[in-house]
Amino acid sequence: MKKWFSLALVAAAIAYTAYGLGTLRLLDMSGRPGAGYFPLIVGILLIVATAVNAVRDFHASRAGPRAPERTGMAAATRLPGRADIGPPPDDRRYGLDVLVMLGLLFLFIVSLTILGGLLSMMAFMLTFLCVFNRGKIATNVVYSLTLPLFLYWLFRITLNASLPIGVFGF
Amino acid sequence: MLADIVSHLAFGLSIAVTPTSLLFLLLGAFVGMIVGLFPGFGPAAGIAVLIPMTLGLDPTTAIIMLAGIYYGSMYGGTITSILINTPGESATVASTLDGYPLARKGRAGPALVMQAIASFIGGTIGVILISALAPLLADFAASFGPSEYFLIITLGLLLLTAMMGDDKLKGIISALIGFAIGTVGVDVMSGMQRFTFGSPELIGGVYFVAVAIGLFGIGELLYCMYTGQHRKSAVKIKVSFLSGDFWPSRKDYHDCRFTFLRGSTIGFVAGVLPGSGATLGSIIGYSVEKRVAKDPENFGKGEMRGLVAPETANNAASAGAMVPLLSLGIPGSGATAVLLGAFMMWGLQPGPLLIVNDPGFVWGLVASMYLGNIILVAMSIFAIPLFVKFLDIPYIHVVPVIVLLCVIGAFTIHASIIETWLLFFAGMLGFAMKLYGYSPAATVLALVLGSMAEETFLQSLIISNGTFDLFYERPISAVLSCILLAVIMLPLAIRLARAALRRTLETPAGRGK
Repeated sequence: MKKWFSLALVAAAIAYTAYGLGTLRLLDMSGRPGAGYFPLIVGILLIVATAVNAVRDFHASRAGPRAPERTGMAAATRLPGRADIGPPPDDRRYGLDVLVMLGLLFLFIVSLTILGGLLSMMAFMLTFLCVFNRGKIATNVVYSLTLPLFLYWLFRITLNASLPIGVFGF
Repeated sequence: MLADIVSHLAFGLSIAVTPTSLLFLLLGAFVGMIVGLFPGFGPAAGIAVLIPMTLGLDPTTAIIMLAGIYYGSMYGGTITSILINTPGESATVASTLDGYPLARKGRAGPALVMQAIASFIGGTIGVILISALAPLLADFAASFGPSEYFLIITLGLLLLTAMMGDDKLKGIISALIGFAIGTVGVDVMSGMQRFTFGSPELIGGVYFVAVAIGLFGIGELLYCMYTGQHRKSAVKIKVSFLSGDFWPSRKDYHDCRFTFLRGSTIGFVAGVLPGSGATLGSIIGYSVEKRVAKDPENFGKGEMRGLVAPETANNAASAGAMVPLLSLGIPGSGATAVLLGAFMMWGLQPGPLLIVNDPGFVWGLVASMYLGNIILVAMSIFAIPLFVKFLDIPYIHVVPVIVLLCVIGAFTIHASIIETWLLFFAGMLGFAMKLYGYSPAATVLALVLGSMAEETFLQSLIISNGTFDLFYERPISAVLSCILLAVIMLPLAIRLARAALRRTLETPAGRGK
């Protein structure tokens, strides 16, 4: 998946640059840098950087699976002679759970303008807990009612913030 | 100098010591401690998610509360590092090295107390150094032109990507993505719309809060789910400050007397440098302490100095990171980038003139950090049993609460469903970035600084009639350009030199020598 993500970034970089070139002026009437000047520099750098990155990732995937590479903050936090930070390693990954979560989040945002803030929060919370915390119906229902009510009170009533209004008028 | 520091702090205290400010400081510190407790939910996400809740407050009180979350999370993150060997956030990773072995040796109480004292000393020294350095740096920065600003922004981002280890390229891509997102909206120079696709909601640009909540909040949360955090059962731990073995011994204090100073100094310097921050500060603090120790073999086996060094360093670094933020308007980390965004939201103009134009805000904030440290050290010692209770909450119950806060928070800022969708896509992007080794912090930093970078870059070009002369003609610019080139070229030169050396050694002539 890593190489496909890298490839998607190349495509996005090309699309960004092409769209910018097509819609923006590089120089203004007086010959000074225009609205498209900086985006063009960013776009070109993005294309070059993402292309090199994609080539590297494709090479790495062809070379076969290696020991997991520590990148990002993990690389920054590397310490000599000590590798056992954290609880015993659990190599299992829960991609399906992430997909379910994304699906629920998508439905939650869709429902905001239909059911309104309070009801969609309750619906999301109940569905989430029913999926991931099965068998504890009473606890799930109590959580799903009290927490959204508390947040509604905090945001809408105490802070007077705008919350989405649904077909029921709240 | 000392008189200046005292008078600045006294002025700040006169602003920060109001019932409202103290209440919100306490609230921020408390929330920060909780934010620090839960893995995968760092200070940047905590601040971003809670920004909408501060909309009704006045700017100083709101920033005092958000800053409380920022340094409170440093205290909270260590509790889980010591008790369950799981750092609440990256800056407390080094604290697990000796913190957890101390807990296993039955010294969890002394470790928790010493980390609180170390955090307090680190934070306090950091605040004193801010009071001394921020005005000096602001005075110096008052002579900066657009070229210097552009170079500092670029340098900060490059240093941040240098933290990416072997994958600096991914860090650079992350920063460029932030710049690209930052170009959406009306161009400040020409007034022309860019990448808005005709949508009126995008004319004002992509609002950073939704992106920051998405990248840090939703992205981190999805990553935690991916690694199975939500499947783990809650940890039940009991700690009581009434038990006899809770308090550190006299030997602990005596052994660590110089560690407090070393860790604080190292941490503060690491914090001031753009891009390095608390994580690197704590690691360097630990490494230096181990190197100067007469008994380095004890480190990693429950040595109190091994806990105190990173703890003083990460808190001093959090304070140090406020120096470039307050004096230059340039944040050095994801969390301070979100704070900068919050400054702008309240109409404050970060930069060298902030101290001159808004001294009440700056010194009120600095003084609140001092007060915050006092509150946090008391909270960290006497409320430890309460915070440990939070570890009883199963992560599966925490997840939906975070999602609700993120989604509702993103919506309430502008009552915009477009921004809520932006949060969704930023969340997916944040998850993928975290999964494949990119840096969401660099993206947010570049997004917040994008318009400033573009403006200063174009101004420099216009001043020098379309050439790059300004970047090396002015003395400060020339020095910054040299540093920038060194940061880019040095790793490449070292790699080439190593390869050449290896080739020389591999040739028969080289082997024969």
